[in-house]
Amino acid sequence: MTVHKLTIEPLDEAIDVAEGQTILDACLRAGVYLPHACGHGLCGTCKTQVLDGEFDFGEASPFALMDFEREEGVVLACTATLKSDVTIEADVEEDPDARKIPVRDYVGKVVAVDDLTHDVKGVRLALDDGPIDFQAGQYINLFLPGVDGSRAFSIANPPSDAAHVELQIRRVPGGAGTGYIHDTLKVGDTLSFAGPQGRFLVRKSRGGPLLFLAGGTGVSSPRSMVLDLLAEGYGEPITLIHGVRTKADLYGHEEFEALAARHPNFRYVPALSSEPEDSDWAGARGFVHDVAKGLFGGVFEGATAYLCGPPPMIEACIATLMQGRLFEKHIFTERFFTAKDCAEKPKSPVFRRL
Amino acid sequence: MSVKKLGLKQRYAHMTRGLDWETTYQPMDKVFPYDSFEGIKIKDWSAWEDPFRLTMDSYWKFQAEKERKLYAVIDAFAQNNGQTGITDGRYANVLKLFLTGISPEEYQAHRGFAFAGRHLRGVGPRVAAQMQSLDELRHIQTQIHTISHYNKYFDGIGEFPHMHDRVWYLSVPKSFFDDARSAGPFEFMIAIGFAFEYVLTNLLFVPFMSGAAYNGDMSTVTFGFSAQSDESRHMTLGIEVIKFLLEQHPDNLPIVQKWVDKWFWRGHRVLGLVAMMMDYMLPKPVMSWKEAWQIYYTEAGGALFQDLARYGLRPPKYADIATAEAEHISHQNWAIFYQYTHAAAFHTWAPDAKHMDWLSEKYPNTFDKYYRPRWEMWNQMAKEGKRFYNMALPQLCQCCQIPMGYTEPGDPTTICFRSSQYKGETYHFCSDGCKDIFDAEPEKFVQSWLPVHQIFQGNCGGATIPDVLNYYRLANGADNMDYVGSPDEKLWNEWQADKLKTAV
Repeated sequence: MTVHKLTIEPLDEAIDVAEGQTILDACLRAGVYLPHACGHGLCGTCKTQVLDGEFDFGEASPFALMDFEREEGVVLACTATLKSDVTIEADVEEDPDARKIPVRDYVGKVVAVDDLTHDVKGVRLALDDGPIDFQAGQYINLFLPGVDGSRAFSIANPPSDAAHVELQIRRVPGGAGTGYIHDTLKVGDTLSFAGPQGRFLVRKSRGGPLLFLAGGTGVSSPRSMVLDLLAEGYGEPITLIHGVRTKADLYGHEEFEALAARHPNFRYVPALSSEPEDSDWAGARGFVHDVAKGLFGGVFEGATAYLCGPPPMIEACIATLMQGRLFEKHIFTERFFTAKDCAEKPKSPVFRRL
Repeated sequence: MSVKKLGLKQRYAHMTRGLDWETTYQPMDKVFPYDSFEGIKIKDWSAWEDPFRLTMDSYWKFQAEKERKLYAVIDAFAQNNGQTGITDGRYANVLKLFLTGISPEEYQAHRGFAFAGRHLRGVGPRVAAQMQSLDELRHIQTQIHTISHYNKYFDGIGEFPHMHDRVWYLSVPKSFFDDARSAGPFEFMIAIGFAFEYVLTNLLFVPFMSGAAYNGDMSTVTFGFSAQSDESRHMTLGIEVIKFLLEQHPDNLPIVQKWVDKWFWRGHRVLGLVAMMMDYMLPKPVMSWKEAWQIYYTEAGGALFQDLARYGLRPPKYADIATAEAEHISHQNWAIFYQYTHAAAFHTWAPDAKHMDWLSEKYPNTFDKYYRPRWEMWNQMAKEGKRFYNMALPQLCQCCQIPMGYTEPGDPTTICFRSSQYKGETYHFCSDGCKDIFDAEPEKFVQSWLPVHQIFQGNCGGATIPDVLNYYRLANGADNMDYVGSPDEKLWNEWQADKLKTAV
């Protein structure tokens, strides 16, 4: 199969596009949002300027894409396909906080496999061939022996510890990848991975209070982000709410409590959703979104929120934040686009990223 | 040193916001007098996200090319006698319904967006509303030009602007837009920009345009393509408006919710005309109204309202009733037109056996049980020379202005009647949805111009049917009555005979 390179200005990001794959499909799958609506060449919402390269207009309606635009190299991203490597200028906003770090292949040696809880392992990889450059919040694609494809895991350590990659991995019942890590992986093994990936990162240039809402092992990215922020002296209030089911599922709290004691601007709130009523747990009880609502009196205006965890938790948190007057521009979530997300259920155009 | 090229968004900002100014000779509140009485609070107009990047200078260029392409197709259609290539002469009645019922509303939308484009304080929405205003003007012009060719051959089209202000069923879409245009600029934007152009537009345009495609009407199909590139801009604007209002101030939520409830229901009532068109009027049907409702409202609207729920907005009140009515509304509407065919400016007919089988297949829960027996009875009566006409004037709903022919939710054999008292008078409604709308704004709706009331009050040319038809400028014996026996049918049959001769 022929693969062409698509460079997207002004992001200066390059992605692979298969022969016959549309520009829009390739961008959405790579996590680059382009405005679009009808998806089949009739409306013209996804107009995109080609700066360089050979392409095919596809089935673009003559009323959606004018002749004079075609002469100027304007295409509809939802119908246009590539005939060579192509550079486009898309209607995307530059992100002043995103660094351009090329994805590379790495090999890490397992130096620790710890039981963080009854079903979460902490895996620490040492990068003997040189450090990895990444931004706090990004993830890697990990390859496991005998397991098809790769598995995505967030990096839990801060970028300052560039010689290591730490992962927090919960056993997915029946899961081949996490099963291998829980049952087979041992200290001294080597694993290969590709990274860093993703645009889940702290928009430091915005300033202001930060709110991290994490569910289960979704706390790994926020850990990296919080450690990074505190180390460089971020002075605004930072709140981390980490939700798990019971006390037995909670981990990392000693470290976060120590950080909170040292940094007056950092508040750490572990929250248990299914802890037995009569236990000795004196901390917060309930789901992350409810605990956040109580903590902030239901008003989140002015903050920037970072959400990482299972989809139902993220959905509940988005609704709580929005009803507390924090909107899409100020909410960031960890989300992976898959072919399934793009195709299956009808999606409304109300939100771009969320 | 080279200057960094501006991004699309920045370039657009310079060509729109960069051209705005704060007035000094007069205070801004006097220049924009209508953007506060509705209770909508805007803290920061600059937070408006321009949903598309089209500046006025390039707007003209785009629209000019669209026009050139459309008129080339219309000319070719006329020169090749495209009207003889449609599936059946009955199809022309779909165009009559569109031109008399929908096209004048394009003009109303043009006027409404011109008002919003003048009276919204933020420059972003003002530019967008101005473009949409011009789009709507272009749409009515191209619709008139597209359909005018049919006017050379078929009856009922020629007096459409005159009819729009008078004829009983045309008051349904007319009152819908009159209501929106006499509201404030924010309600207009939610009513037409969001509820009509976003939530319901696919239930209006797709059925007409795909109906045209299925029935050999290429000039209307081309008009549809030409409009669709504008429609996507309108839909994007509708979404941006509702987001902007909900994000600007928490007090806006209950106001927006009330408007969403109101305009969903009003729109649903107007779309009943499309429902009967899809199920009864297309010689070659595309899909049933029930199927269209499932795709465009239940699925697409479901995804939309699921997302909007994050703002605390609920799906429209009575959406469940509207969904249940999708089983009935087309059958009930077409039955009304069949009974009052003498007062309609298009032709009617009872479905034949083959078409009734199609309806049975599409409506397994309702058609055979409730509607087939009536059509079979009416067909039998017509065969015996006793074609049924309803000679009594119907009671109209004070809100939607549709004859009170709809049935109780969950009980398709009982007519639904609701009423309210206001200042000693009784007002009648077809549904809880329409009653709620009246009860929220009685002073507005007591002023409704109800065609039947007007006839009784002696304002429509006289007391007899010919008097009223004359007042409508409806040519008795040509524009009205059944298709069978009409001048339209005679002409169509001549064309078919000519084709046979040519073939031999």
